[in-house]
Amino acid sequence: MSTDGTNKGRHRWIVCWAGLILIGALFFLSIYGAFLGSSRAKSFFNSPTMIVIWMTLTAGLIFSLVVSRRLLRNVGLLLMHLGALSVLAGAVWGSAGAHNLREKLFGIRKFQSGQMIIYEQQAEKHVVSESSARITELPFSIRLKDFRIEYYKPEYLQIQGPGARSWAVPVEIGSEVFLDSDLGSITVLRSFENFRIKIEGEKRIAVDANGLGPNPALEVQLKDPNGNVTTKYVFERFSAHARPEDKLLLGYYRTIQDYISELQIIKDGRILAEKSIEVNHPLHFGGYHFYQHSYDSENEQYTVLMVVSDSGLALVYAGYVMLCIGVFQHFWLRGIIGKKLKAN
Amino acid sequence: MAIKYTFQGLLIYAAIAGYLLAFIVSLFGGKKSGRFLHLFGFIIALLAFAYRWYHVGHVPLQNLFEVFLALGMSVYPLGLFCRYVLRTPGRLADMLIGAVVLLPAGFVFSARPQHLPPALQSWLFGPHVAVYVLAYIFMAKAACHAIAHIVGNTPFVDENLLSPEQSAHQMICVGFPLLTLGLVLGSCWGKLAWGDYWGWDPKELWSLASWLLYAGYFHFRSIYRRRFARINCLWAIAGITIIIVTMLWVNLSRLFAGLHSYAV
Repeated sequence: MSTDGTNKGRHRWIVCWAGLILIGALFFLSIYGAFLGSSRAKSFFNSPTMIVIWMTLTAGLIFSLVVSRRLLRNVGLLLMHLGALSVLAGAVWGSAGAHNLREKLFGIRKFQSGQMIIYEQQAEKHVVSESSARITELPFSIRLKDFRIEYYKPEYLQIQGPGARSWAVPVEIGSEVFLDSDLGSITVLRSFENFRIKIEGEKRIAVDANGLGPNPALEVQLKDPNGNVTTKYVFERFSAHARPEDKLLLGYYRTIQDYISELQIIKDGRILAEKSIEVNHPLHFGGYHFYQHSYDSENEQYTVLMVVSDSGLALVYAGYVMLCIGVFQHFWLRGIIGKKLKAN
Repeated sequence: MAIKYTFQGLLIYAAIAGYLLAFIVSLFGGKKSGRFLHLFGFIIALLAFAYRWYHVGHVPLQNLFEVFLALGMSVYPLGLFCRYVLRTPGRLADMLIGAVVLLPAGFVFSARPQHLPPALQSWLFGPHVAVYVLAYIFMAKAACHAIAHIVGNTPFVDENLLSPEQSAHQMICVGFPLLTLGLVLGSCWGKLAWGDYWGWDPKELWSLASWLLYAGYFHFRSIYRRRFARINCLWAIAGITIIIVTMLWVNLSRLFAGLHSYAV
């Protein structure tokens, strides 16, 4: 049964095998979950059956800490197991179920996660909760000062010519790019953020308009080898199209660098906090994190924020720190460096 | 499969040739020449990585092309670390691993530079991927030692170096903390970028599965030590199999569409 046959060895054997069985179960469930896709896997791992397995895992970790003296004597092993326990505890504390339970038992009104839509220059305090799909009110308002999208420079004009030849020309106003001796050259004359046609008398004039938009476009001039000049408009939002006599197919491409929402936290008419949030830079206020989640892709008039409760997060992070210190202490400091020093 | 007729491609092919020649020459007894060619392969791989970094303007760990390039560049220094710090052999395996991991970069994956999408513009991007790259190399080397143990083939026995099973264990001991750190950094990054430290994404779940597999290995080895050395070695081989699935199948298959799909 055990390697040394003593009671101590038997305890260790039982604890390790129990751990091994739980790890094995979680291993196969993880692979099963990977085939389900994120949303179904999330439901699966929060199902009542899985809650039993999570509780068994938690109980197993506590049991191992109580029974195994080796775990208590070895700092690294102890930290690893305590870390895993802390992560599990934090996950439970921060779960939607725990939020609901705290509301029922203690009247603490805090939702786990939700989304809110805020229009530019407006304040909003309503959040659509994800778990219950109900509308909840925050104890403060959030005002969207401005929402903007930033693009990588340079932007590109994609040109497709006859015989599957293609060019990606960086957009530089006024600079002429020679394509080849059959096609001539191309020059970007103007760029528009919100392209509109204005009719003045009998003339149609291209203008960069304010108001609802955007409609990014480029005005380009094509010069063929005989010196004939034609002007064309290329739109980012409308795929390239060409007439039968056209030799070139043109497209305007920009790559998004960032989405930025400038937010203000307002309570009783006073601004309590202010931050420009973007992906990887959320705002933390009043027990919630506010993330840049989505936006109005048509007109860029509103932003969609994801609001997530910070309950249990400290426990999860503490668990991560313990886990990392534990593995490095046990395997690197004690296992490799320690042994090397001993050998020397 | 496409050949890259670029300076970047040329560097990769030269590095592959260096590693392969080093392997062949060493196999036929030319130890000194083999070492020289191995070093040459590494320098060229390092140049290829540095050139890519300069070319794209950010840490080149964004997609599978760049990750395989990083793997090909890291095998040599980690091999030195293993030999002189861990006392584990495997120079010949390093030469072969170096060539094998550069093959997908040279012939399979596109080298077209891409801008970093907003989610990847984080200070955690570099450390998260780099730590995984290092961990995967250690686990790949561990699997090589495990295979050597199972087939009973220890080509260059050196009294100062560990046996294949012990070597595999040492490698896993070094790689496991890195695997843990990679998982934790990824989780912290997920929290910053998407609002959740665990999104039940296929890649996350496969990474967790590989972590659990090695955690299981340690529990098993803690019970039986080296009594079932072959089973210990099978754990190590199963580990690298799951890692390959995590790295390639999850990113390339439409079956596992998720948050990490951009990393192709």
